[in-house]
Amino acid sequence: MRGTIALAALASASLALAPQAAAQAAACAGLSDPTEIVDCVDRIMRGDSSQGISTMEVVTENWDRAMEMQVWSLGTDHALVRILSPRKDAGTATLKAGTEIWNYLPRVDRTIKIPASLMSASWMGSHFTNDDLVKESRLIEDYEITLAYEGDRDGIDVWEFDLIPRPEAPVVWGRIAYQVRKSDTMPVWARYYDEDGELVRTMTFFDYRELGGRLVPAAMRVVPEDKPDEYTEFRYSDLEFDVELDEEFFSLRRLRDTR
Amino acid sequence: MSARGRIRLRLALRNLRRHKRRSLLSGSAMILAMALLVFSRTIAEGGHEDWIDGGVRMGNGHVAVEAPEYRTRRTLDHRLSPEARAAVKDALTSEVLTERLVASAPRLMIQGLASSSSGALPALIVGIDPEAERAFSALDEKLEDGRWLEPDDHLRAYVGARLAGRLKLKEGSRFVLTAQDAAGDITGQMVRVAGTFRSGIPEMDEGFLQIPLTTAQEWLGVPGASTSEALLLRNSRDVGPVRRDLAASLVDWGDEAAVIEWRESMPELNAAVRMDDWADYVFHIMLFVIAATAIINTILMSVMYRTREFGVLRALGLERGEVGRVVFIEGMILTAISGLVGMVLGAAVVWIFFRNGLDFSAIWDMEMEAAGVVIDPVIVPRFHWNQILQSLAFILVIGSLGSIYPAWRATRIDVAEAMKFEE
Amino acid sequence: MKRAWWKIGWRNLGRNRRRSLITAIGLALGYSAVVVMTGLSRGLVAEMIDNGTGMLTGQLQVFAEDYLPDRGIYDTLGGRDGIDVDALVAQVDGDPRVTAAAPRVYAGGLVSTGAATAAGVVLGVDPEREIHVSRLLSYIDEGRAPTPGQYEIAIGREMARQLDASPGDEVIVVAPGADGSLGNDLFIVSGIFGTTVTELDLGYAVAPIEVVQELVALPPERIHEIAARVDDPWAANDAATSLRIAIGPDGPAADVRPWTEFRPEMVEYANLATSMEWMLIVFVFGMAIWGVANTMLMSSFERRREFAVLLALGGGPGLIVRSVLAEALVLGAVALAGGVLMTLPVLVWWSTAPPDMSWVYGGFTMAGGLMRPILRVEWPTSMIFITAGAMFVTALLAALYPAWRSARVPPADTLAGR
Repeated sequence: MRGTIALAALASASLALAPQAAAQAAACAGLSDPTEIVDCVDRIMRGDSSQGISTMEVVTENWDRAMEMQVWSLGTDHALVRILSPRKDAGTATLKAGTEIWNYLPRVDRTIKIPASLMSASWMGSHFTNDDLVKESRLIEDYEITLAYEGDRDGIDVWEFDLIPRPEAPVVWGRIAYQVRKSDTMPVWARYYDEDGELVRTMTFFDYRELGGRLVPAAMRVVPEDKPDEYTEFRYSDLEFDVELDEEFFSLRRLRDTR
Repeated sequence: MSARGRIRLRLALRNLRRHKRRSLLSGSAMILAMALLVFSRTIAEGGHEDWIDGGVRMGNGHVAVEAPEYRTRRTLDHRLSPEARAAVKDALTSEVLTERLVASAPRLMIQGLASSSSGALPALIVGIDPEAERAFSALDEKLEDGRWLEPDDHLRAYVGARLAGRLKLKEGSRFVLTAQDAAGDITGQMVRVAGTFRSGIPEMDEGFLQIPLTTAQEWLGVPGASTSEALLLRNSRDVGPVRRDLAASLVDWGDEAAVIEWRESMPELNAAVRMDDWADYVFHIMLFVIAATAIINTILMSVMYRTREFGVLRALGLERGEVGRVVFIEGMILTAISGLVGMVLGAAVVWIFFRNGLDFSAIWDMEMEAAGVVIDPVIVPRFHWNQILQSLAFILVIGSLGSIYPAWRATRIDVAEAMKFEE
Repeated sequence: MKRAWWKIGWRNLGRNRRRSLITAIGLALGYSAVVVMTGLSRGLVAEMIDNGTGMLTGQLQVFAEDYLPDRGIYDTLGGRDGIDVDALVAQVDGDPRVTAAAPRVYAGGLVSTGAATAAGVVLGVDPEREIHVSRLLSYIDEGRAPTPGQYEIAIGREMARQLDASPGDEVIVVAPGADGSLGNDLFIVSGIFGTTVTELDLGYAVAPIEVVQELVALPPERIHEIAARVDDPWAANDAATSLRIAIGPDGPAADVRPWTEFRPEMVEYANLATSMEWMLIVFVFGMAIWGVANTMLMSSFERRREFAVLLALGGGPGLIVRSVLAEALVLGAVALAGGVLMTLPVLVWWSTAPPDMSWVYGGFTMAGGLMRPILRVEWPTSMIFITAGAMFVTALLAALYPAWRSARVPPADTLAGR
């Protein structure tokens, strides 16, 4: 599970970056149990439903590209992402419904269900795989959470949590370290380690600002440790929360609807 | 035996004794031929059984029970229900089976994805019962690191070495298996590496792993089910009767359980073994022909320059036919003794020097794959009495055929001429 | 005794024609057996190499240095800038050992009818050149090869079965592009190939190279591989060495690999088969030696009076040894003539019209190569001579003991008939 948090940002996404500003922050701030705090942050990142516009910039040793996309989400199970630009990819859409992933290809006007054998392929050329999209779940379900550090880091008062996978949890990480600002419960970074304690990837949050009436980290960047020059970055330009969406919205018919 | 018969026998024996060197020479050719035949046939048979055995151990057993369409569909929809499995288990208790069965093992197979923090790769995931599998699979011997699965393992996996390498997994590493469960949902399962294996078959080393059966059943939501029950038999010759017996026992389960044998489940291995069989036949026929000329040659030799001796016999009052019979009996005795000695010698050589296997690894040090089976460079010879007796019978037939002509020649000897010719 | 040795030998053999004939037939059979078996075994090896390399890979490949093992879509020859494809293909083709060369692009992706989807490798080829390099396209038994420049695709039989697609049907091909985009387009199934190698029939699709480049956003000058056919597979190593030099450090950073490097198990099997040939010779002639020794012993025994006379007259033992050895040599020569007469027609027949063995066994793979169910024979040229040599050695070895015994015949006793 390449990053529950990451995912949040991705397809299931909008939610990702949707912390509920002040009110929520305050609610989280009142908590002291590490599990409760992380769950609270996790929850704010996932509002019930959302809709937004995001850019995804992917830099690899082989290409750089930026895409603009529109994202709808409902809970953790449903998400729809439609590419707006560049023109070559415009209209391409990905639907996540439960454990299935479907792609709509406007050029051929067809929808294709991604078979299990292609779950390991990269999603839209990013540092996330289709599998990452499917395996999203809540952090507290899969991890034991402890507070590893509390105090000042670079002049900011933070918590640092250690997330250790539960014995049978189907996650690949050996440990996740997660830093959260105390003042507004904004996530700062998440570092993903393998079982030997080697850092595998880092996700950083930044550009905290108000979108859709909430304070959110509008940008998030993932860097794979073995290729430090590569990254995938999401940046929200527009975000709305608690929009009117139901499960029927996330249908194959909607997937095809290029609008 | 009549008095004359006894005399003929004694004459023949005496002739053989008197010409020790000649008898020895003629005999040794046959002994050698027979010994070579025994040697080569046991090795060929052993190589074959090893091959089939290796194939069926890696694969689906000599005989397997599966849902009828599993072979082509390969999905969990076509699985053996716990009830069907119980019926199979019952069927295994029949007399035909208990005599021939070495081991039976349930397998739950699914194509899925193995992912670690360094990536995700497709893999064939097989749930096995370590207890049952121990007597069955040859995979536990291919261990490279760590250990094989044990009966009370729960979240453990035995992984192909190259798959483990590419996912940067080592003993104890956690990783996640993902596949579509019986309900159609994609589900994940965490397991840890118990050990890794290197089988020499690229597809297996790159994309095959075993987990405990119960773990697989739970994960995929098919409690008590399997995709196949594989049976390992004492000998590949037992496939026919076992298959018939099983099919008869499972006749009421026709919609759910079908019996298939290795020739169907491994058509490639079947073709390769048939070709090898065929090459063996050709080779043995050639060996037989060469042996036959050697034998006829020696017997003929031993008669042809004994003109004078036969002349004497005739002069002593033996009739033409009787001289022929003496020669014929001589040939038969020689062949029979040589054949037996050769057989014992060949068997003894094979037994003493090669019973633990004839090691070809000096000339082929790499793992050699054919028809999806890694060929073991150590061939353990197999004795099949009927085959060895066949060879013996063959030697006797050749010997007696080879004696007819010399015997006929012996009847044609002109007494006066023979006596005139001084040896 | 001024007569030529072979005349002496011939005369000696003539003393007992029947016996000589039987021995010679035995030896000739041995010769025949070894040569035919060797021919079959080499045919098997040639079939394996031929199909193992000729089906898809070719006998020689040129690709970017870091292309293997991951076969990344960006690891094209010449990197991001690509190469002058025609020039490099022409250069590879220019090697005298190379019969044909063809450029290729590999893309991993999906082939889908919408209702069903299969994952596989989409291979971009130049159909006109490819047909001279690999046989994959010639296995199309339904429909035809894709037309250059057209969005047409040939798929494997198993894949066709999974997709329930037949020639003329529309399929969607989806493949991640080299620029990170998700390449997708509609293709018409032009043909279906059935190689019986499951891996190919299930996981490969072939389309025109320029169309695949377009699909995965590679410009025309970027290709992954040049595959080449080398008719004599054992010349591939030399061809690779000279191509490495020819491309040189100034050319694109390319790795040239002959099949012996990417299919080492086939080389291993070929070596194994060669050592088996030697075992066969030892086996067969080890047995034949007894037959010859027997004949020679009998023959010299019969002639012991003659030898005794010779010795009594002052002839040296060397003369007798030579006489016996001459007989053995001539026996060998006769047997060789017979053996060649027996063997050649069989070899000519089998090598021109390999018997169909599909009634005994079907196709199967060996060391990753497909074996057709035919009795293929390769001319075991070297073995024809080596076996002939082995036969003479056998005859001579078998004659040594009889010759030695003959030279030590006690003249007085023998002449006295004791």
